[in-house]
Amino acid sequence: MSDSEEHHFESKADAGASKTYPQQAGTIRKNGYIVIKNRPCKVVEVSTSKTGKHGHAKCHFVAIDIFTGKKLEDIVPSSHNCDVPHVNRTEYQLIDISEDGFVSLLTENGNTKDDLKLPTDDNLLSQIKDGFGEGKDLVVTVMSAMGEEQICALKDVGPK
Amino acid sequence: MQGFPGGAPDPQQLQATMLAIEQACSLIQVHMNPSEAEKVISSLHSSLMPYQACRFILETSHVPNARFQAAGAIGDAAVREWGILSDDNKRSLIAYCLNYVMEHASSPEGYVQAKVSAVAARLLKRGWVDFPDQEKSAIFFEVEHSIRGIHGPNRQFAAINFVEALVSEFSPATASAMGLPKEFHEQCEWTLEVKFMKDFYCWAQAAVFNAADSILSGNASIDEEKACSAAFRLMFQILSWSFKYNVEHANSETKIDSGLRSDAINLKKFERSLVKPGSMWSDILISSGHTTWVLNFYTTARQKYSYDPLWFDSPIAASCRQLIVQLCSLAGSVFPNDSGDAHINHLMHILSAVVLWIEPPDVIASSIRNGASESEFLDGCHALLSIASFTTSLLFDNLLKSIRHYGTINLLSALTSEAVKSFVDNQNEEETWGSDALDISLEIWNVILGDFDADKSPMSVDGAIAASNLFKIIVESHLKAAADSAFEDTDDAEYFHVSVSKRDEQLALYAQIARSAADTTIPFLAQLFSERFARLSQTNGENDPTQTLEELYWLLLITSHVLTDSGEGETLLIPEALQAGFPNVVEVAQHPVVTLSWSIINFSRQCLDPGIRARYFSPRLMEAVIWFLARWVATYLVPLDVSRGQVSRAEIDNVDKHGFQHSRKVLNSFAWENNQGELVLDFVVLISMVALTTYQGENELQTLICQKLLATVVRRKHTCTFIVQLDSWRDLTRAFASGRSLFSLSGRLQRSLAETLACAASCIKDPEASVQYLKDLMGPVAGCLVENASRSDLKSVAQKADVVFMVCCLLERLRGAARATQPRTQKVLFEMGHTVMNSLLTLLEVYKNQSAVIYMILKFVVDFVDGQAVFLDSNETSVLVNFCLRLLQIYSSHNIGKVMLSLSSSLRNELQAEKYKDLRALLRLLTNICSKDLVGFLSDSSIEGSQDIAEVIYVGLDIVTPLISLDLLKYPKLSRDYFALVSHLLEVYPEKVANLNNDAFARIIGSLEFGLCNQDSDVVERCLTAVNALASYHFKERLGGRGGLSSQLMESEGSNGTLQESISSHFLRLMLQLLLFEDFRMELAGSAADALLPLLLCEHGLYQGLVQELLEKQQNPTVKSRLAMAFHNLTNSNNLSSLLDRPNRQRFRKNLRAFLGDISGFMQIK
Repeated sequence: MSDSEEHHFESKADAGASKTYPQQAGTIRKNGYIVIKNRPCKVVEVSTSKTGKHGHAKCHFVAIDIFTGKKLEDIVPSSHNCDVPHVNRTEYQLIDISEDGFVSLLTENGNTKDDLKLPTDDNLLSQIKDGFGEGKDLVVTVMSAMGEEQICALKDVGPK
Repeated sequence: MQGFPGGAPDPQQLQATMLAIEQACSLIQVHMNPSEAEKVISSLHSSLMPYQACRFILETSHVPNARFQAAGAIGDAAVREWGILSDDNKRSLIAYCLNYVMEHASSPEGYVQAKVSAVAARLLKRGWVDFPDQEKSAIFFEVEHSIRGIHGPNRQFAAINFVEALVSEFSPATASAMGLPKEFHEQCEWTLEVKFMKDFYCWAQAAVFNAADSILSGNASIDEEKACSAAFRLMFQILSWSFKYNVEHANSETKIDSGLRSDAINLKKFERSLVKPGSMWSDILISSGHTTWVLNFYTTARQKYSYDPLWFDSPIAASCRQLIVQLCSLAGSVFPNDSGDAHINHLMHILSAVVLWIEPPDVIASSIRNGASESEFLDGCHALLSIASFTTSLLFDNLLKSIRHYGTINLLSALTSEAVKSFVDNQNEEETWGSDALDISLEIWNVILGDFDADKSPMSVDGAIAASNLFKIIVESHLKAAADSAFEDTDDAEYFHVSVSKRDEQLALYAQIARSAADTTIPFLAQLFSERFARLSQTNGENDPTQTLEELYWLLLITSHVLTDSGEGETLLIPEALQAGFPNVVEVAQHPVVTLSWSIINFSRQCLDPGIRARYFSPRLMEAVIWFLARWVATYLVPLDVSRGQVSRAEIDNVDKHGFQHSRKVLNSFAWENNQGELVLDFVVLISMVALTTYQGENELQTLICQKLLATVVRRKHTCTFIVQLDSWRDLTRAFASGRSLFSLSGRLQRSLAETLACAASCIKDPEASVQYLKDLMGPVAGCLVENASRSDLKSVAQKADVVFMVCCLLERLRGAARATQPRTQKVLFEMGHTVMNSLLTLLEVYKNQSAVIYMILKFVVDFVDGQAVFLDSNETSVLVNFCLRLLQIYSSHNIGKVMLSLSSSLRNELQAEKYKDLRALLRLLTNICSKDLVGFLSDSSIEGSQDIAEVIYVGLDIVTPLISLDLLKYPKLSRDYFALVSHLLEVYPEKVANLNNDAFARIIGSLEFGLCNQDSDVVERCLTAVNALASYHFKERLGGRGGLSSQLMESEGSNGTLQESISSHFLRLMLQLLLFEDFRMELAGSAADALLPLLLCEHGLYQGLVQELLEKQQNPTVKSRLAMAFHNLTNSNNLSSLLDRPNRQRFRKNLRAFLGDISGFMQIK
């Protein structure tokens, strides 16, 4: 690629197929995303060190799996590339919560999406259920990355 | 005992109390149910008349902790019940405590005795003003007898202990609380200092004197030694008292000529201050030969006990040395008003004794390494430091010459070398004696070399030789350590950054030593460099160059420090020592500074060759090179006109010193000769490009390039005008604007790079060229953002990681450029911002769930508004304001009422932290918009525009205030931003506040109340400004016959329950409370006066009532009349009128200051 070319977002025709994107380790910051051990994570700590005083820099990442909340660590030479996951968040109106633990969501084009389970954690579960039970108009945000999905936020849009 | 308070004791009950306390004490010790046990103990402290019980415990309990608690309870109860105790009671309590310590003087539990002593001291102070003098004399008569040793060493020790407790009780810093006004404490302090302190010292002197013989003959008992060391400690404590009531001599010329410093330095770093007891003390400290006696005592004792290595750490040795070091700091009128001879004699005496502790340094150092005690050595260093702080370097050096054939500086040099060696050997361990000794000895060098009048008394020849030798040893030891540690891994953990600043401080002190003998140390450095350069060029890939690289790294650091000052933010000058240090050098090519500079720069140039770079320009070496270059360029590329002007003037002035001036001229001009300056600047750009593109992922290095080297070059006009004309600079800007290579930098660095590159535009002379330059630089960036934000498939690709990354990079660059806004470049940059506004709103919508992008958009707008606000005309303002309004609306529609769900608590915390950062950015944005309006008021702003602004701010405030809780306001950064905004706002739009709904209004007022009680004086000041604005508005409205803020009511705690009252009366109450009863800081008096005046004027009736209420509450008639007087003066002196104009405000400020000064003595309670 020549230096004079304009910058475009590089989304190729098959962009949908790729779940991650390579990015230089040195540019990944705290609060950014990274793939460690094939899991999408959010970086909570970056530190750098050198191999011998006159060696090259390495980045030490501490990151948290965005779905399971597990802590993972990795060390990468800072000039090498890391995989960064595509993390998507979509908002849906919450229509129903079924007995078997699935939610029913209204998509933008009017269809419903019924393949998403409620979280298993009691605390999160009750936050969603309570709001819904009180008859509020709820919009949920669904986070998806590397083929997994989870509800990550909740907003009351009902009339005041 | 007669007069002991409390009724006739009931033996059973006493027994029961004792058991309960004993049990509680033992439970606390094994840490079982401590809160319950504490309750039992504190019930004793707070019970009514517990004296009999306490006495019983003190006399019968076998549990020392219980006795300790009982003693404390006596103190607390007596201070509390002082009013109801009879004079007999008080006297007998003090007498009881004193008798107790005397009788139990041999008890092994020292802490119980100390506590009882402290209680006696506390009660004596409580009654200090009431007791007649003869009563106090009677007590002290006994104490004196015991201290003089008449009742044996145990009682002697106990009495000394009591006086120690007394001195610390009377010293303001260590006094215990008594619930009495400040004046009382001051009076106690005064009488003790003037009437008793000297006697105490004499008693201690006598105690030591009497014990000296038996100690020196080795016959002293343990108790005698204990008493003697306590006496030394007491003398030290008395000399540490901050003497206030003494008269100082005027500074005389003769004294300065004698070599004593006129500006004795306070050595804050080592918590040392001058001891100035005044002329009253002259007889016992100076003319009686007291110092000599103490010195002789120590010297004889250390000889006698030299067989015992433990003796040097024994209490008696340690306390005696402590006293000697303190005696070094004696100053002021305690010495006769002669030409300084007595003071110099005093210092010489001390030095002649202390020198034994530190000489010969190498022998002592090696014995310490073999396990001997280091405390004497360190105390010796401390004494030397004190001496140095009083003397010029010449006198300092000469002090030793009367007893040795070399000077003090020579000794110091030898001592420092030992410290360096030991420090370097144990670098990885903390708190070694070597690092302590090095700290102190470097501070001594700093004191001598940093001497203000260094020109008048240059370093002697052998002093310079000593410094030069020392520097050689320093460099050699550190080079060896560098080579040894070359293969260790480095970490950039937090402590690393701390240790870097500590290292820099140390290197700067080394550099000072080097500069004092520049004619030898600079060539020495040059030689070390050339050896290593040669070694590198000989390694043909066979030998590992790592050790040499690390040596070069260290050499580059120290050389930067020697050749340049750090001077953050100042215009750097070539160090004076280097300008004056080479009077005989006439030829440029032979000037050591010149040759050293070029040899380093020429070596660095080799990094442009890819082969050589790969072989030995490691990232770390590059860091040092870049750092050196940045400092060198800032110092030696002197602005041409300045250097020429200076030199020509100098030439006219001094014809005889021609050579001397010539060498200055050489140093000031060599860098620009033969086009060298331009070549160096070109090299700066080239090396930056290389480091940014070929050292991928080396953030440390790239940060240095962007934030240090390039920033330095661009910040200085004379270098910047050169650099923008270079081809290499054009290549760099082109690569930034339209290449891809610089996208590999981290976002933060792209921002600073953009800022630096954009800043350079203001140094292009031709205005059109300057505009074009910026357009070329930022146009593609803005264009790219716009183009991509308007793509039809944006929604489907926007969330991809690469796209997010690219958007972030572009935003960072825009933000960097926005930060570089200057008058000349403002128009172009506004255009740039204008073109991206719509795209930013689109992105705000698209990325509503990517907090990182949202934050960056907010930050860009914050910086953009900040840079632009002052320049905009009304059209541009309304564009900007509309944009901000929409931005706020979109942001709030996405974020109000959103709850984050996450399994992981740390992820949830991260989300909270992100929200907090957004909030701060919003506050900043609102404040920046507000500031536009303040400026607008001064110029002719259209009314239409300012209304827009008000709307934005109130929409913004509506978003922000519900999110801000009082808990969040505890974060200092957030609370500063918030109160800055609120005070701004109330100053500009008080009328808007009147129309706020009750909730919003209460939120603002609530936060102001919170802010007024804040610790941070900045915040309090802001709140006072806000209150002032609010009350002034209210006053003016009412003057004009309108309602003002009367519709807004406030619930407040009045004297008779909660009541509804107006804002102004609410704040009036609050302010009086603050001024009278809290520890109000005088520096805030001005703003407090400004806030109080309109309140007074609004609520005159209430004010009178409150004052009346306050006066009636006062029991004490003198306090009452003084308070009434103060209040009277507050409103009636200085012709105060009832207007809010400037002169009247000034008068009220004066009145309030006087008022606060008046009342603080008796209203503030400790």
